Amino acid sequence: MAIYSVGRKRVILALLLTTALLLTLDLRGNAVIDAGRDGFTQVMRPVETATGVVTNPIERMWKGITDYDDLEEENLALQEQVDRLIGTQAAAEAAVIEGQELQALYSLPSLSGIDTEVARVVGAAANNLDQVIEINKGSSSGIAVGMAVVNQAGLVGKVTQVTRTTARVMLVTDSRYSVAVKVTSSSGLDDLVPTNTSPSGLTPSEIEAARTTTTTVPALPGPVIPGVTLPGGSPVPDTTLPGAAVGADGEPILDPATGERLTAEQIAGLNELAAQEAAASTSTTSTTLPGGPGVDSTPATTTTTTIAEVIEKEYGALEGRGRLRLPQIKFVQDSPSLSELVVGDLVETAGGSESLAPTGIPVGRVVNRADRPGSGGPLLDVELYADLGRLNFVRVVLYKPLSEVDQ
Amino acid sequence: MFASFVQGPLVRVIPLGLVLLALQRTIFVEIQVGGVIIQIMMAMAAAAGVAGGSERGAIVGFVFGVMFDLAEGTPLGSTATAMTLAGAVGGLLALIAADPHWWLEAIFTSLGTAVGVVMIPVTRAFIGEPAPFQGELGIVVVVAAASAAVMSPLLVPLGRWCLRMRRPEWKQPIDEPVQ
Repeated sequence: MAIYSVGRKRVILALLLTTALLLTLDLRGNAVIDAGRDGFTQVMRPVETATGVVTNPIERMWKGITDYDDLEEENLALQEQVDRLIGTQAAAEAAVIEGQELQALYSLPSLSGIDTEVARVVGAAANNLDQVIEINKGSSSGIAVGMAVVNQAGLVGKVTQVTRTTARVMLVTDSRYSVAVKVTSSSGLDDLVPTNTSPSGLTPSEIEAARTTTTTVPALPGPVIPGVTLPGGSPVPDTTLPGAAVGADGEPILDPATGERLTAEQIAGLNELAAQEAAASTSTTSTTLPGGPGVDSTPATTTTTTIAEVIEKEYGALEGRGRLRLPQIKFVQDSPSLSELVVGDLVETAGGSESLAPTGIPVGRVVNRADRPGSGGPLLDVELYADLGRLNFVRVVLYKPLSEVDQ
Repeated sequence: MFASFVQGPLVRVIPLGLVLLALQRTIFVEIQVGGVIIQIMMAMAAAAGVAGGSERGAIVGFVFGVMFDLAEGTPLGSTATAMTLAGAVGGLLALIAADPHWWLEAIFTSLGTAVGVVMIPVTRAFIGEPAPFQGELGIVVVVAAASAAVMSPLLVPLGRWCLRMRRPEWKQPIDEPVQ
């Protein structure tokens, strides 16, 4: 049996000092350690592959024993979900196509214009502290440190280490993860605004009324193109050369993308797209006002437009808090006079010239709001769209922020 | 020098570490108990300490920890510190009994493992990582220690083998007949 002695204590101290030295060298960045890490990964790969083959039956047996009931319940729930989604798939696809056409028409930034690289999840962190996965694509596929990683549901994490054929992805739930996000409200959430949160004393109905604007557009004299209106809803006068359309000011209507004159048929197509988009976010009613004494008897068209319900409320920083706790948004400031941060608000990446994640990646939904005393602002717990416990395939967004494009 | 290396423990410790590391990164990531990953390398380091004393346990823990950090991409030395201490603590606790029963070895192994698991966030805190202490640390420590105790009847003899040690044999002294 081992006997305790001063000599043994020296050995232990020497080992601990060596670990401290290694830590210091690694944290300051050392090419030798990096090369050693890559070499060790190459050595470990065949050992891991062989071990995986040998232990695979044991893993399956264990999962068969422990997860069978959950799997059965989940299968039933998923089948129900699939049935429901099939019904809305066609409408959703049409909406996506229309959205992309409109974004392309107005030259708006869109995720659809950014290349992605599909990768398979081949490993996970072997400790209980880090929330990291390993994917089977690396620098040879154009992947670089910092790139955002998503799946079909939303944001998953970001790339933190890259080798030629593999990369490590830090998940959103890791306590070291942080990303700039924006909080937006979704349609139908306005009912959740409590009465006593308005500093002006307005009730929700008064707040709703205050968010409504009324504009009066005089009726145009002369003939108009039947069935064709401008995006604002006004009719198009039929005083133009054949094949070309002009606006209310008499100037030809130009394509914002190409600068070419639009025909009446093209405007009709655009109006149809715009009307479908507007139907999702606005409600428009038209009434004819009677003429009063001394007023021209020409009828006037009154268009009442409700402001779009999807509004950007606030920007903040989303930070992970570990495997069992929801990520949290900090540095947000509640502005009750503009909008209230409420449960159910949508969260997506904010983008920006310095951000590693492009704007518009869906992240999740606010499920809890915790108010803090003082000027700290509220804390928002976010339930992620992506199920980080069941990642099989992910997409790496091959995006570089504008500040790094020329480097 | 070559002879001393061949006859030393590293010839067996490194291949054993490779196999355990592969197991840790494959099957033990999938087979979790209560959502906690069982730390077999940490348990092996503590068991090596129980089998061969604090010095040898610390050496085994250091080697395993460096291998773990290299493979996992964690800061080199962070897990090595924890595993070195796990092996040392396992060896120090084993001094309590000259020839401990299997259940005492299980307790020593589990305590060494628990110390090592707690040391991981402590080390991470020292190098400035944000919020290394998470709410489930208590559950992680309990599950890792309990699993180490369960595995110790296998791991302690494995530790003796890789350290080229034999279990001490105690013989009862024969009473000489008084003439």
